[in-house]
Amino acid sequence: MLLLRKISLVQFKNYTAERFEFNKRITGITGRNGSGKTNLLDAIYYICFTKSYFTSSEAQNTQYQTNGFRLEAYMDKKGQEGKIVCTVKDGKKDISLNDEPYDRFSHHIGKYPAVMIAPDDAEIILGGSEERRKWLDALLCQLHPGYLDNLITYQKILQQRNSLLKTIATQGGNQDALLDVFDEQLVYHGTPVFEVRRDFLPSFIRQVQELYDYLAGQHEVVNIQYQCGLHEQPFNKLLASNRYKDMMMQRTTGGIHRDDLQFLLDDHAMKTSASQGQRKSFLFALKLAQFEVIRQHKKFPPLLLLDDVFEKLDRERVSRLISLVSGPTYGQVFITDTHAERLLDAFKENEDSFQLIKMR
Amino acid sequence: MIFSSALIENAVNEFARLPGIGKKTALRLVLHLLKQDPAQVKLFGDVVTRMRDQIKFCKVCHNVSDQEVCSICSSLSRNKALVCVVENIRDVMAIENTQQFNGVYHVLGGIISPIDGVGPDQLNIHTLVERVQQTGIEEIIMALSPTIEGDTTIYYLSKKLKDFPVKITTIARGIAFGGELEYADEMTLARSISNRLPLESYVQK
Repeated sequence: MLLLRKISLVQFKNYTAERFEFNKRITGITGRNGSGKTNLLDAIYYICFTKSYFTSSEAQNTQYQTNGFRLEAYMDKKGQEGKIVCTVKDGKKDISLNDEPYDRFSHHIGKYPAVMIAPDDAEIILGGSEERRKWLDALLCQLHPGYLDNLITYQKILQQRNSLLKTIATQGGNQDALLDVFDEQLVYHGTPVFEVRRDFLPSFIRQVQELYDYLAGQHEVVNIQYQCGLHEQPFNKLLASNRYKDMMMQRTTGGIHRDDLQFLLDDHAMKTSASQGQRKSFLFALKLAQFEVIRQHKKFPPLLLLDDVFEKLDRERVSRLISLVSGPTYGQVFITDTHAERLLDAFKENEDSFQLIKMR
Repeated sequence: MIFSSALIENAVNEFARLPGIGKKTALRLVLHLLKQDPAQVKLFGDVVTRMRDQIKFCKVCHNVSDQEVCSICSSLSRNKALVCVVENIRDVMAIENTQQFNGVYHVLGGIISPIDGVGPDQLNIHTLVERVQQTGIEEIIMALSPTIEGDTTIYYLSKKLKDFPVKITTIARGIAFGGELEYADEMTLARSISNRLPLESYVQK
C-alpha cells in the first residue's frame, strides 16, 4: 500500500507555509473558492511526477513575489518510509528521495504513482491530438521500460529530419542519402512505440467499458480507435511513399508523431456527438481504467486525486464513484469539494477511514 | 567598465571575445601583460599571429599540421590501411594520448546535425570516400560520440562506403574503466549486456 503521511508546502502557489498530516485512507478537502484545495492536490501530484498537473511553468507554481518554493512529503510504500523533497529556487529545480538528490528526474517518476482526475481533463476528448498522445505516452512510459527513450530519440531525429527538409527547400541539393539514414533511424525507434500503443489498447478498452457501464448505470458501447498510418503499411514504406510530399511540405507528414486516438460512443465520435454527461462519465472511466492498469503493473494502488468531482457528476454517479473508490482495490484517495456537508454525507458509511481537512 | 585608455579598452574587448573569458578576467589578463617586459608581450603577440597565419590543415586527413601533410600521415611507421574517423582535432589528440593506435586519422570537422546547419556537404566526407577509393584502406574505425547525431553520421558514412571492399567498425560502447556497475546508467548497462564480449577478446593480450 502506498500512503502519503505528511506534506509541507512553502511558497507553493497560494501557500506561504503550511503542513498537512493525513492519517486516514480517504481525505476530504473542503473550503471556499480560492482557498487552495486544488493547489494541495497539485502539490501531491508534483511530488509524484516532479511537475505540476496544470502548468509547465514553475513561475506559476511559485507564490507571487518570491523566488522559489519547497515541497516536502513523507510517503509510506509497503512499510518503507520515503522522504521526498522538491525545491525550486531561482529557476533551479532539485528533487531528492531520502536526502539523496536525483541526477535525472525521470528516475523518480513512477516510484510513487498517482492518478489525478480534474475538470480540465475534458481537453483529452475535445482538444487536439497532441493532448491524447501526451496522455497515452505518460501512461505507457510508466508501464514499458524503453518506451520513453525510444520516444525521446524519435523526437530528436524527427527534428533533424524536418530541419533537413527545410534546408533542402531553401538551399536545394540532393540529400536523399541522408534522408534515407534519418528514415532508418525513425523506423528503428518509432516501430516499437507503435507496437506498444497498438498492443495496449484492446485490453484497456475492455476496462474502460466495464467502468463506464458501472458509472453510467447503463450499457453504451464505448470504444477507442487507434489511428496510425502504420496499420496499413510498415513504417519504412510509409516514409518512402511520403518522401516527395514531405519535401514539398518541409516536414515529416507521416509517422507515430501524427497518431491519434478516436473516442467513440455507439460508433459516433465522442468529440462531436456525446452529451456533456456522457463525456464526463467516459473521462472518469478512462482515468479509473488508467488507475487500474497502473495498479496491476505496480502491484499496489496509486494515489487517487479527485478534484471537484461533485460538480461534474450527478448524484447517482457520484455515489457509485464513491463506493467504488472506497472499495478494497483502491488505496489512498484525496477528494476536494466546496461543501463540507456533501463530503461528510458521501462518506458517512466509511466514517472510520475518512478524514476531513477544512481550508481557512 | 570605464577605462582611461582606449588601448586598454580595445585589448580587454578582444580578450573578452575568447570562449570562457568575461570582462573582468579579460581586464586581469591585460593588466598582467601590462606588467610584463614589452619584448615578452611582443613575442606573445607574434606567436599567436604566426600560429593563425602559418597553420595548415593536412591534405590527407584534415588534422592540424605545419606541413602540407601532417606528421601522422607522413610517418613511415604508421599503418595507412587503418583509418580512424573522428569529429575534430581534439579527438585526434585524445586518441594519440592513449599511445595505443598505430593507424592514421580522418577528421570530419563536425557531425551531421541539420538543426545546427551542418549537413554532409559541410563535412570532410567526400575526401574520405576518395581516400577509400584511391588508397588501399582495409578498415575504417568510427570513433564518434555515442549520441543520436553521432549515430546518424556513422550510418550515413557506412552507406557512402558500402560499395567499397573496406571493413567498417566502431569503437566499443559500455561500462567505463574503474566504473562501478551499480552506478552505470541503465541505457549503458543494457547496451553492455546486449553487446557483451566473448571472454577471449576481453582478456588483454
